Amino acid sequence: MSFLGGSSSSSASSGDVKTAVVQQLQQEAAMTNARALIQKINENCFTACVPTPGTSMSSQENTCLSSCMEKYIAMWNITSRTYINRIGVESKRMGGDASLVASMGSGL
Amino acid sequence: MDPQTQLELSKLNDADKKELNQILANEAQKSNIQQMVHQLNDVCWKKCVTGRITSKTLDRNEEACAANCVDRWMDTQMGILKHLENMRGH
Repeated sequence: MSFLGGSSSSSASSGDVKTAVVQQLQQEAAMTNARALIQKINENCFTACVPTPGTSMSSQENTCLSSCMEKYIAMWNITSRTYINRIGVESKRMGGDASLVASMGSGL
Repeated sequence: MDPQTQLELSKLNDADKKELNQILANEAQKSNIQQMVHQLNDVCWKKCVTGRITSKTLDRNEEACAANCVDRWMDTQMGILKHLENMRGH
């Protein structure tokens, strides 16, 4: 019997299991990240675009929302780039290994 | 979870376990950084995008403000840590 209840008759090798764990981990991480982004966009763009909620969304509000969304993501990329650069600089300054952080610059 | 994605962790050999631990640690760090970026972007959006939204792109001022916001936030963090250390010394 395996830890997570997989059938013991399967012929998965250690490498197969490792690959599956990594894939699932990365999928879940991507989902968590996307969910957080969507929630923040919802909060901030609702505030910016729907100051006084009416009985339905106006076309102006809808236009504002799609602009806001793209703008928020553009800013997210700047924030990410700047933050990753900075923690790279700080950890180098403190004598740490910044290679992992540096390698994330493109991967986020 | 669907049966095909169920993971038989008992089949992992020691080398793969070790490698997996390293990958997990990296992913955890990446995830922490992403969460920090979400939090920072929220703060900096509120500070830097104050006007009516008319464009899909950031204007020059907003772009500069975003980068400054992150750097000054980090300065603040470093300043607080330094000050705390000084306080401990007294």
